[in-house]
Amino acid sequence: MTINCNDRERIFEDGTAAEWASLEAHAGDCAVCREELRVWRSLSIAAAEMRDYSDSPMLWPRIEEALVQAAEPGERNTRSWGWLTFWKHVSVGWQTAAAGALVLLLAVSASWFYVHQRGLQEPHDPSLLKSKALTEVERTETAYIRAIDKLAADAKPQLDRPATPLLSSYREKLLLIDSAIDDLRAQAGQNASNAHLRYQLLAMYQEKQKTLEEVLEEKR
Amino acid sequence: MGMTGLALPWETKLSPLADRWETRVEPSEQLGGPGQATASANTEDAALAVACQSGDLRAYERLYALHGARMRNMARNLLGSMADAEDAVQETFLKVQRKVATFRGQSSFVTWTYRILINTCYDARRSRMRKKEVANEESEESVRPEPRASATHPALRMALERALTALTKHQRDVFLLYEVEGFRHAEIAGMLEITETASKNTLFQAKKNLRTMLEPPRSGAAGAR
Repeated sequence: MTINCNDRERIFEDGTAAEWASLEAHAGDCAVCREELRVWRSLSIAAAEMRDYSDSPMLWPRIEEALVQAAEPGERNTRSWGWLTFWKHVSVGWQTAAAGALVLLLAVSASWFYVHQRGLQEPHDPSLLKSKALTEVERTETAYIRAIDKLAADAKPQLDRPATPLLSSYREKLLLIDSAIDDLRAQAGQNASNAHLRYQLLAMYQEKQKTLEEVLEEKR
Repeated sequence: MGMTGLALPWETKLSPLADRWETRVEPSEQLGGPGQATASANTEDAALAVACQSGDLRAYERLYALHGARMRNMARNLLGSMADAEDAVQETFLKVQRKVATFRGQSSFVTWTYRILINTCYDARRSRMRKKEVANEESEESVRPEPRASATHPALRMALERALTALTKHQRDVFLLYEVEGFRHAEIAGMLEITETASKNTLFQAKKNLRTMLEPPRSGAAGAR
């Protein structure tokens, strides 16, 4: 390999072992390159003077203590979440599959909870009366029926012998209402907590009350 | 770019040692590529990373045993004080402990550790400079090295330390890592997050600047090139 002074800086920057050997051979005959080579290498020798690898006996114990102290607060956290670190060694494909499975599991769980919650909510259907409310309804209903019965007793003479076709119609209507009331009471007896039946029953009693009031009005 | 007072009598001070110095060539440039020693070092590096990730304190002790002195020396050359250097090394180990779970092996574990050390040293230096409220950028970059134990060439070392403060941050880092700590350009590239070519070029520029700063006044012509 032929080397000249122009190659010197390139070799200083990024020369191969063979190029350095050629430069040294060239420096044997070239005073300038010999001087440059020596000065260049001298910087490396000077740099070696900055190398102090003497032992510092107190440094490791100090670092060790700091590492132990730093590890303590995080130890519980590491114990709790340390198992997650194994995911780092699992391939991306498996991580994706696991994530998909997790999403599916969450979706199934959410659906189950939704359905289950609906099932739990059924006893809270407002159409069903709680026992305390039912007692209150039945007590009021009894008083209401007693009051309507008094009205019926007042209207009974007109209805037993209807003087007009209108009173005859009232009598027929009241018979139908009483029949409907009997049916509803029978259903309510089987399902006392059903508020819907209670509302229908109340409507029938109100209709009976109104009809009786009209019969008594007709009498006057 | 000369520096008055830094010039060294190269021939009288350095000739005996310079004659014994062998040219350092990167292993990657040699025939045959990385040898068995490199493979063994890589295996140990990987094992050290895994052991540190598992929280094994003995792994950190091993890391310190292998690199503690060099880390301390590197920090001392960047910070100028042994006390600050030891603080920086301790802080580096704590950062390694905190961040080791995020280490993915893109670089070697040791390279990664030195990168943390270098950043820690610069953080420490910035913090120190803020405290001193030095506005002048020149002052910020300068590090006043404290006296060391006796060396073979104390005058030479001191002159070089002073000259290093006049280099750019990048040039100083590369020079220290290559010439003082003995890292390869590939390792330096990993530590400083630059290319290997950039590392070689930066070292060349650093040495050219140092040579200019430290060379004695020439009586004759510069000579043919």
